[in-house]
Amino acid sequence: MKELSCEDVLMAQMDAADGEVTEERFAAHIADCADCQRELKQLQTLDQLLAGHTLSESSVDLWPAIEKGIAKRSTLGWRPFALIGLLLIVHKLLEMLPAQDLGMMFKLVPLVIIALLFVFIKENPFRINTELVLER
Amino acid sequence: MEDAEAIKRCQQGEREVFRHLVERYQKRALAHGTAILFSRSDAEDAVQEAFIDAFKAIGTFDTSRTFYQWFYVLLRNRCYKLTAKRRPTESLDEALLKTVQPRMSAETTLGLQKALHSLTCEEREIVCLKYFDGLSYDELATHLQIPRGTVMSRLFNARRRLQRKLSGTLVPEQEV
Repeated sequence: MKELSCEDVLMAQMDAADGEVTEERFAAHIADCADCQRELKQLQTLDQLLAGHTLSESSVDLWPAIEKGIAKRSTLGWRPFALIGLLLIVHKLLEMLPAQDLGMMFKLVPLVIIALLFVFIKENPFRINTELVLER
Repeated sequence: MEDAEAIKRCQQGEREVFRHLVERYQKRALAHGTAILFSRSDAEDAVQEAFIDAFKAIGTFDTSRTFYQWFYVLLRNRCYKLTAKRRPTESLDEALLKTVQPRMSAETTLGLQKALHSLTCEEREIVCLKYFDGLSYDELATHLQIPRGTVMSRLFNARRRLQRKLSGTLVPEQEV
């Protein structure tokens, strides 16, 4: 059987203090371990200290800013992409001009535009993650 | 107006109805944003952006969850994105904590606030949800989408780090 560390014992004791588990089998370890006794006492004091506090509430009304934000995203969201699309169309039209060879660098322009676009936005701006996945 | 009705009307494009949801949940969202970011102004920014995300994505609302459970994912994502962008602050001038025990000294509250500030966002979040929201381990596991065992270890590590930060100031408090 795996030997219990002080950390295991303390964690179980705090979980028991939270009423989440019933844990009495570590009593012997606690009784014999001065380090655990000291740390458990400190953790229990911290528990009381935290229980005696709460976050102070904010009474700010965010609706005006949110309403503006919704309107702004609705009107501005597509414009940079429309501009990129327009640039690409102009590029294609120039390329289609007869008897024009604008060289390899010109052919690379769309790739550069797309690469810059992705560097600029860093993420897909149309995607909102509503799944239970935490983004970093 | 019930959440379900408000959501349905928002899905039909009634922007003004979204106001009901914002007014109902903004205080709670600000508290959670503050718990993660430990800055009221950053929390306001994150909550604003999360509500805008919620309005934009309301068409994909998952009816198996409550509005706030669904919204909380958006809020966390906004908070953690903001954390990645901002520079860590050394000073903490705002009074973000308040005591609910009259005999608790202001110094103790300030000490606890500083100690909480020194934790990682994830540790601070779980401590705040546990103590200030009163969530059980199972509720924490659902809220944070982590196994119950991870709740236990994360909470223990956070408490241990807090206790070590506060060592020296905790002893007198035992007498309070």
